[in-house]
Amino acid sequence: MAKKTYDLLFKLLLIGDSGVGKTCVLFRFSDDAFNTTFISTIGIDFKIKTVELQGKKIKLQIWDTAGQERFHTITTSYYRGAMGIMLVYDITNAKSFENISKWLRNIDEHANEDVERMLLGNKCDMEDKRVVPKAKGEQIAREHGIRFFETSAKANINIEKAFLTLAEDILRKTPVKEPNSENVDISSGGGVTGWKSKCCS
Amino acid sequence: THLSLGYFALLCCQQNSYFIPASFGVVWFVMEFGEESSPALAFDKDAFELTVEDVYDISYVIGRDLLKISSTGEDVSDLQFRIVRVLEMFETLVNKYNLSLEELKMERDNLKSELDRVIKERSSGQATQTAGPNQLVVDLTDPNRPRFTMQELKEVLQERNQLKAQLMVAQEELQLYKSGILPQAEPAMVEVDLETPAATQHNPATINNAKEERTTIGKLFSFKRK
Repeated sequence: MAKKTYDLLFKLLLIGDSGVGKTCVLFRFSDDAFNTTFISTIGIDFKIKTVELQGKKIKLQIWDTAGQERFHTITTSYYRGAMGIMLVYDITNAKSFENISKWLRNIDEHANEDVERMLLGNKCDMEDKRVVPKAKGEQIAREHGIRFFETSAKANINIEKAFLTLAEDILRKTPVKEPNSENVDISSGGGVTGWKSKCCS
Repeated sequence: THLSLGYFALLCCQQNSYFIPASFGVVWFVMEFGEESSPALAFDKDAFELTVEDVYDISYVIGRDLLKISSTGEDVSDLQFRIVRVLEMFETLVNKYNLSLEELKMERDNLKSELDRVIKERSSGQATQTAGPNQLVVDLTDPNRPRFTMQELKEVLQERNQLKAQLMVAQEELQLYKSGILPQAEPAMVEVDLETPAATQHNPATINNAKEERTTIGKLFSFKRK
């Protein structure tokens, strides 16, 4: 018998302006670490983290995109497969906040219609340099009907909470399927994560 | 406010019937109550450096001298009006000369900055002339010049991410073997989904790999695509 390593696979995507801390947010979540040196992400990268929610082992495959405009043709091709998208801005960078509407439009254009979205205002540890009030983040999130957290990858604030909440929201929308087979079926051409094909029976 | 000599002359003729040239009288009057710099210095100046004010100084001095002569009883009225006429011509010429000089200086400065701009454009890349809007000029001697296409970068990134995924799967498996959870004979099958739109269209190599599933890594997982 092969051992099953996870029940569900969720694909998440991090987007937002260059330098807002997408990679750091992900690094904090996946490795519980923080690095101050800024290395611009080239195109697209990913990390894997398995979490347990409602008794299910959920493998999160989290795609980290480059915020720079020059990589957009590469990064937008990854929107389609995402089940959850985290839109990150920097509370110390007004421009990154203004660009949220641009990123939301990108989601509308390139992602699945039912994708779960979430807004993160990162670097909330830098209160002295804040230029975007928390209320403004909450307001824009409310307007678009999406969740909002202020996070800090550096101070480890709300990072895990944000990812787990997003995963829970996706799980809630996921049709329940009894894990009746111990083997992970890799041959059938069913849904990407193997639950779509056997739901609603 | 440069009042012309003619204006001075007219003004004085109306104000008094004195035979002294009106204009010089007025200028003299102005100078007496103005600054006390010597008007005679204007005579020592280089002809090309004369200004209209210098001409007024000169006319003032000549007027004063004429006044001295006339006080001896000589009739200098004809001479006086000829001098006024010559001084007026002098005034016009100096005025015109100074204006032309100013114009030429401005034109020279304009041409100079235009030349600088053209030279700068030339040196900042000869290819500028051939590059249209939205085009980038590449310096072929720059080791960091852009060299690869977006498609090439896309493929390299896909391969990197696939290898990374495979490594993760292998590490996971190794961990399971080490902890003795897995029997040696049966490798676990783990699905790693790295499907991207581009992978479906542009990477036949991975499609073959997935179909064959003969390699060790192929037994461990497969790539799925829609």
